[in-house]
Amino acid sequence: MATREVFESRWQAAALLLPTVLVSVVFLYVPAVRAFELSLFEVGFGTGEVDFVGLENYRTLLTSPEYHLSVLLTVLFAVAVVVGVMSFSLLVSFLVHEVEVGKGLYLVSAIWPYALPPAVAGFVFFFLLHPSLGVLTRAIEPPYPTLGLLERPFEALGVDVDVTGPLEAVGPDVDWFSSGPQAFALVTVVAIWKQVGYNVIFMTASMNNIPGSLTETARLDGVGRLGRLFRIYVPIMSPTLAFLAIMNTIYAFFGTFAFIDVMTDGGPAGATNILIFDLYRDALQNFEFGTASAKSVVLFVVVGVLMYVQFRVTEEYAYYGG
Amino acid sequence: MTLLETIVDAPNRAAEYLRGGRAGDRFARLREDGLAVHAALASLVLLLLFPVLVAIVVSTKESGIVTGLADLVPGGNAYDNYYRALVELEFYRYMLNSLVMASVIVVGKLAVSLLAVLAVVYYRVPYKDFVFLFILFTLLLPVPVRFVPLYRLVTGLGWNNTVFAITVPYLASATTVFVLRQHFLSIPPSLVENAKLDGVGPLEFLWRVLIPMSKGILVGVSVIIFVYAWNQYLWPLVIVGDDLQVAQVGLGRLRGQAQAGEVAWALTMTGSVLTLLPPLVLLVLFRKPLLETFSIQRK
Amino acid sequence: MSDRERFGASVRRSRRSVLRASGAALAATGVAGCVGGGGDGGGGGGSVEAVNDELTLWHAMGSGGNGETLNALGDQFEEETGIPINMEFQDSYESVLTNFLGALESGQVPDFAQIDSLFAKQVLNTGRVDPVEELLSEEFPVDDLLPNVTDFFTIDGTLQSLPFNNSNAIMYYNRTAFEEAGLDPDSPPETLAEVRSASETLVESGVVDAGITWPNHVWFVEHWFSTAGRLLFDAENGHAGEPSTLLTDNDTARSLYEWWRGMAADGLYVNPGIEAWQEATSAFLQQEAAMLLTSTAFVAGARSGAEKNGFEVDNAFYPTVGEERVGPVIGGASFFVPSGLPDDRREDVGAFLEFMASPDVQKQWHKGTGYYPIRQTAVDELSSEGWFEENPMFRTALDQLQASADDPATKRMLVEPARQSQQYVQNTSVEVFSGDTSVEDGLSKMKSRVEGELS
Repeated sequence: MATREVFESRWQAAALLLPTVLVSVVFLYVPAVRAFELSLFEVGFGTGEVDFVGLENYRTLLTSPEYHLSVLLTVLFAVAVVVGVMSFSLLVSFLVHEVEVGKGLYLVSAIWPYALPPAVAGFVFFFLLHPSLGVLTRAIEPPYPTLGLLERPFEALGVDVDVTGPLEAVGPDVDWFSSGPQAFALVTVVAIWKQVGYNVIFMTASMNNIPGSLTETARLDGVGRLGRLFRIYVPIMSPTLAFLAIMNTIYAFFGTFAFIDVMTDGGPAGATNILIFDLYRDALQNFEFGTASAKSVVLFVVVGVLMYVQFRVTEEYAYYGG
Repeated sequence: MTLLETIVDAPNRAAEYLRGGRAGDRFARLREDGLAVHAALASLVLLLLFPVLVAIVVSTKESGIVTGLADLVPGGNAYDNYYRALVELEFYRYMLNSLVMASVIVVGKLAVSLLAVLAVVYYRVPYKDFVFLFILFTLLLPVPVRFVPLYRLVTGLGWNNTVFAITVPYLASATTVFVLRQHFLSIPPSLVENAKLDGVGPLEFLWRVLIPMSKGILVGVSVIIFVYAWNQYLWPLVIVGDDLQVAQVGLGRLRGQAQAGEVAWALTMTGSVLTLLPPLVLLVLFRKPLLETFSIQRK
Repeated sequence: MSDRERFGASVRRSRRSVLRASGAALAATGVAGCVGGGGDGGGGGGSVEAVNDELTLWHAMGSGGNGETLNALGDQFEEETGIPINMEFQDSYESVLTNFLGALESGQVPDFAQIDSLFAKQVLNTGRVDPVEELLSEEFPVDDLLPNVTDFFTIDGTLQSLPFNNSNAIMYYNRTAFEEAGLDPDSPPETLAEVRSASETLVESGVVDAGITWPNHVWFVEHWFSTAGRLLFDAENGHAGEPSTLLTDNDTARSLYEWWRGMAADGLYVNPGIEAWQEATSAFLQQEAAMLLTSTAFVAGARSGAEKNGFEVDNAFYPTVGEERVGPVIGGASFFVPSGLPDDRREDVGAFLEFMASPDVQKQWHKGTGYYPIRQTAVDELSSEGWFEENPMFRTALDQLQASADDPATKRMLVEPARQSQQYVQNTSVEVFSGDTSVEDGLSKMKSRVEGELS
C-alpha cells in the first residue's frame, strides 16, 4: 500500500505541530486543569487571597436550590431546543425535498439562519415580543381583531353582544418580564430559530442520498407523504439525525449565552438562568471564582458525556448503519 | 440533483424559469409539486424570514415604535439611521473590530492548522494517533469549561483589551484540523511521492501543491471559521473593553443612544441588520464550498 | 447606580470589560515600570504601580452626555493645575468594580475608581484602598460637604471615598396626562395608596395604559424602607457591624409587596424588567405610564424627552409606603483611591479630589447632569443665583435629601456581597408581584436567600 508518510524528520514534524500544540496547551489544557484546581479553593477577588476548601464548592452546588433549578432548566431547555429544531427542520427539509419548482430558493431561505449572530437574533425577538412595544405582542394579545365576523351573526338576529369579553379571558397576556414560563418559551423559540439553518443543511444532504428507487417503490405501494417520511426517510437518515441531536444539545448548552444575556438576563426569577449564564454571573458578577470553577468542571463532564455518546453512536452507524 | 447543485444553481434556474414557458406551464409544474406543499413551504420559510424582515423595515423608520402590523410600512429614515449608527455613534468601530478579529482568526487558524495537518498526514511520527487525539480532545474544552482560569491567564499576560486576547486563544482548532485531514487523505499518495522524488520539500509541497488543490475546501473552512468567529459573544464581552469591542456586544450599546433615555429601537434594528450582513453575504456568496466542506465534516 | 439611564452606558445588564488601561495593557505594563512602585502610603496595600504616567480615573459616566460633562471637568483641571489626567470610561459601574478589583489584585492600579455606592463594602473589604480624607489637605473644609451624603461614605469617623455624583430617587409625572384624567397636577400622589388611586383614575379615563413604572432595582426597595424609617438589613444596614439578615418580616415590607402585587395584577404597573432603567424611562416618555420612579440624574433627560413627546413633565418626592416620611437613601457613586501610590503622586491625587469637590465644579456638574451638589457652599450659591427658582425640577432631590431626618434607616445598605443580595431581592420581587408566590412566602424566601449569602 502506498503511503503518504514520506517525510521523516521528527524535528520538522514537531515544529509543524508546535503552534497547534502550544496554543492547545496554554489556552485550553492548562486553563482546564486550573479550573479543576481552582474549584477546590475559595478565591478572594481584589485581595488575591486563596483558601483551600476541598470539596466545599461542590457541596455548595449539591445543596443549592438555585443551582438545581438551573440544571433542571438547562436539561429542559436542551430537550425543547433539540426536539423543536429537529422537527421544524425535518419538516422544512422534507418539503423542500418534495418540490421541484423553486427548490434552490427555498433552500437558501431556510439555511441562512446559520449565519445569524445570536445577539442579533436576541435583539430582534426582544423587539418583536417586547411586552409593551412588541410588533407581535399586540397581535397575540386580546382583544383580537374579529373583523366583525363574530358579531355579525348575532347582529343579524338583533341581539347585542360583546364578544371581546369572553375572548379576552382566553388570550395570553404577553409579559415575559414577569412570567417565567413565557420567558423560557421565548428563549427556546429564538434558540430554535437560529439553529434551523444548520440542521436543514445536514438533513437535506442526507435526504438527497436516499436512492430514488426507494421513493418510487413506496409511491407504487401507495405509501403517503408522511408515511414515506417517517417509515422510510427517517430510519435511513438516523445517523445524521443522531449527529444533529448531539450537535444541537451542545449548542443548547454552550451556544445560547447571548440570547439570555440580551433578552432575559437569566430572569425573571431565574426562569432562564441556564448553566452557562449562571456560570458567567457567578464568575464575573459575583466574583465567586471557586464555585464558578466547580460549575465549569460540571460542564466539562456534560460535554464529555455528550461527546462520548456521539463517538459511540457514530461508530455504531459506521459499522452497521448508513 | 444533489443539495449542492440545487442551491448553487438556484439563481440560474430561477432566471430560466422566469424567462421560459407560458404561464400555464409554470402552473402545471407547481401543481405537479402540489400547491399545498408549496403553500406550506412558503409559509415556513416566511416564518423564518419574518423577524429579519421586520428588523429591516424598522431600521428605515424614525422612532422604531411599532404598535401593530399596520405600522410595518418602511419609513424614509433609512439613510439617517444607518448614517447615525455607523458614523455618529461609531458603530463602524465595532464592525471593524469584529472584522479584524474574524479575519485574524481565519488566517491564523488556517495557517496553524495547515502546518499541523501537514505533519499529521505526511510525516512518519511516533504516537501519531495520540497527537491527533490530543488535538481532537480540545473539542471537549469550550470557553465555559475553562472560563475563570482563561480569564485570569489572559489578564495575567497583560493581554486584556488587546487583539491577542480575542484571537490567539482561538487559533488551535480540532474541527479545522479534522476537515483538512479528511481532505488530504482523499488526495492520492502518488502525488507526494512524486514530489519527494523531485526533491520538493514539505513546505513547498504544501504551498505549491496542496493549497492550490484544496481551494474549495479552504474557502469553505474559512467561511465556517469566519461565521464562528463573528458570532463569538461571551469571550469578547468579558475580555475587551469598549475600544476593541465586537459588533454583537456593541449592539447593546446602540440601544441606549437615543436622546433622553429612550430605547433607540430603530437604531438597534439598524445595528442588528448591519451585524447580520457580513456573515450572511459570505454564506450566500460562498454557499458552494461551504456546503462541500460541511459534507466532509459529517464524514 | 440609579443613574445609568442617561449615559448610554450599557444598562439593563452589566457589561464586563476588564482592566482598560489606555491603549493596550501591554503598553501599560511598560509605562508602569517607569513610574515605579512607590512606597507604601498607608493602608494595607503593598507596592503598586500606576497604570499610566498621567493620573487615571476609571468611570462609568458614558462617552456622551454626563461623560462629556465629566471630561470637560478633567480638561479644566489640567488647565488650572498643569497636571494631566486621563478619564477612562469603563462601560458600567459593574465593569469599573470588576476592573478595579482586578487592578488591586494585580497591583497595577488607576488613581481613582468611581465605585457605585452599592459596591462600596466590597472595595473597602479588600483593605487595599486609602481613606480619601488622608489625601485632602488641611485646609479642605470637610465640614462643608453635605452631612446627609458623607454619612454613608464615612466609616469610623473617616471619609473613605469622595462622594461625587450623588442622587436619590424621585417621582416624575406627566402633568398633561394628570390634567386630562381630571387629577390635580399640582398635588401629585405622596403615598403608595395615592399612587394607586391616581393610577386607577388615569387608566380608567383612558389617558394612559398604566399608572406607574420603575426599574426593578433594589435601590427602589431601599427607598421604600428608608422613607418608612425601616432598616433593610440588620446592624443598621451594615453600618454598625456585619449584617446577617434581611429585615422583611414587618408591615412595611408586607404592605409594599401587597401594593406592588395589586398594581401588577390590575395592570396599573408596567414592569420594564430587572435593572431596566432605560425601558422604564421609555415607558414614561412614550406615555404608557404617567408616573416614573427614577434617579434625579434623569432631570435633564425628562425635560427634553417630554418636550419631544409633547407633554409637560414635573417631579415630586418619592411616594412613601405609609404616612411616615423619614428620608431617602443615597445613590450614585464616589471616588476610591488605591493604597500604596508614591507620595508625589498622592499630592496630585489629593489636588484632583479637592478640585472635583470644589463648589464651582459641583455647580457645573449639577447643572449638567441633575446630580445634586455635595457642598453646602455650592447649594447656597445656586440658591442665591436663582437657579432653583428657574429650574424647580432640579431642586426636588435636594429638598428631599435635606428634609431627611438623621436616622440610621437613611444610610444605604453597606453589605458584602451586595450584588448577590441585590439579585435575590430583585428576583424574588418578580416572583411576588407576578403572583407566583404569596407575599408572605416570597418575603421569607427573600430573607432566607439573602441570609444564605451573608453567612
